[in-house]
Amino acid sequence: MRAYLEIAVRKFQDKMAYRLDFFMGIVNTAITIVVYLCIYRALYAGASEVDGITYRMVATNFVITLGLSNAFGYNEMFLQDKVHDGSITNEFLKPVSFTLRLLAENVGEGAFKLIFHFLPALLFTLLHTRLCPPKSALHLLAMLGSVALGYLILWLLSFIIQTWSFWLFSVWGIITIKNVLVSILAGTLLPMWFMPAALRRVIACTPFESIYFTPVRIYLGELDGAQLLSGVAVQTAWIAVLGLAAWIFWRRGVKKLVVQGG
Amino acid sequence: METMIAVEGARKYYRVAKRGKGLTAAVGQLFNRKYEIKKAVDDISFSIKRGEIVGFIGPNGAGKSTTIKMLSGILYPDAGRVEADGFIPYKQRKQYVKNIGVVFGQKSQLNWDLPLIESFELMKFIYRIPREQYEKNLRQFCELLDMESFLGQPVRQLSLGQRMRGDIVAALLHSPELVFLDEPTIGLDVVAKEKIREFIRYMNKERNTTIIFTTHDMQDIEKVCNRLIIIDKGKKIYDGSIEEIKDRYTNVKTIEVLLENGGKETETFDVRRTSVNAVLERIFAERRVKDISVCEPEIDEIIRDIYEGRLRLDAPSAEGGAL
Repeated sequence: MRAYLEIAVRKFQDKMAYRLDFFMGIVNTAITIVVYLCIYRALYAGASEVDGITYRMVATNFVITLGLSNAFGYNEMFLQDKVHDGSITNEFLKPVSFTLRLLAENVGEGAFKLIFHFLPALLFTLLHTRLCPPKSALHLLAMLGSVALGYLILWLLSFIIQTWSFWLFSVWGIITIKNVLVSILAGTLLPMWFMPAALRRVIACTPFESIYFTPVRIYLGELDGAQLLSGVAVQTAWIAVLGLAAWIFWRRGVKKLVVQGG
Repeated sequence: METMIAVEGARKYYRVAKRGKGLTAAVGQLFNRKYEIKKAVDDISFSIKRGEIVGFIGPNGAGKSTTIKMLSGILYPDAGRVEADGFIPYKQRKQYVKNIGVVFGQKSQLNWDLPLIESFELMKFIYRIPREQYEKNLRQFCELLDMESFLGQPVRQLSLGQRMRGDIVAALLHSPELVFLDEPTIGLDVVAKEKIREFIRYMNKERNTTIIFTTHDMQDIEKVCNRLIIIDKGKKIYDGSIEEIKDRYTNVKTIEVLLENGGKETETFDVRRTSVNAVLERIFAERRVKDISVCEPEIDEIIRDIYEGRLRLDAPSAEGGAL
């Protein structure tokens, strides 16, 4: 366990090495949020609410989902590159699990971006836009836990596709499609509230709703009591399902591994 | 002595897609792909005892790296038995890798953006090295390899020689008993090479570490190894000491004569067929000699001739006339 923590900490330090990247990350997150807020302010055109959803709720939704999705990005070509140049084998020469090591690195990077990209961007947003407060301190806490689960779901989706690079020459296209799907279906382009009812029913059967929207609803207090628990239970269930799939693909991929070059 | 590594009839074949030339062939292979079997390692057997330093050499693509990969547990052999340090590497990988160290000269395992020392610290946690042992090893290795001055520098700023030293230390901090070095001196200057060779010798002598390494530099082999295994086209073609290989070919001598008029002439012959007397008499009779030297073939030349098929190792009486 200690080894993985150290790996995450090192990745965190790693990210600090590049100053330009550091500042651009803040600017990038802030701009994304501001652009969306401007669009929706125009759409609301002074109306206090649309379908029972206030502008402030929408703004809160965007700050959370866009901020998190910016922070949760990392190099998804990592495994493919390692498989292609054969250096994946180096990873097997250490007495640590490659999967957990990768997770630790990505979490380290995510933690860095949350603190150094998301938080400054959030403060900047608060200067010009009023957001909804969390329903209670407890809801905020539950939301943070739910964010961690959402991250795991997102990570597993990416990892499953990354393992396909054992069979496919390039998974770049599939990853791009996945990212488009996530940004549409997880509510980073259009808040989940405004989706057509039919589409929402479909999304409710996919892991996408569990990524950002469940934490947002917990934060706002839309999910409370039993509903909150069931929201978290659904997240956990998706982690179990995706985790199993990831495990199977990974095992098979490693078995098939024939090192190129050498 | 105890056996460290036992390989019997190991085999690894790769299936490679066969491609024809031209557009028609390119379209054709979309539908009907033909495969070719490449025998990377073809029925190799050897055994290595604890405390040996064995050099693996062979031309590019001979199967050295594949052999190392099977020995380090990251490749399944298609057939045969591979055992190392009491484990079956590819089956008990997780247990096995705790006690081995591996360096791939062409692929760094260090953390690119962090100071070198951070990568070392990480090894401490990954291998659960006791603090005392870690500090003792680090101090000693740094001294031997002269690394104190750049421990605090990010790896991306290091020279190749510094980085390679870093990679070697990172792989040895946990005091493995079995170490694989795949081209650890590739691309390095003479001084850096010498440092690394000294270090390898030290690890072997003082700690009885079993070391297997591949290289293209015969100096590495001559200065470090006590045993040489030559692999070519997936087969083992030589297994023995360097002296032995030299002895077999020292029957071939080259006499270099510097003439009084400034000219230079060389004469190569096999002492078993032509007597040295006869050659020298002829030279002295025909020329005014200023200086004379007798050279034995360099190990580099011998190896080159073996690779090129001009010398056959299975026949000790082979003629070295090609020299």
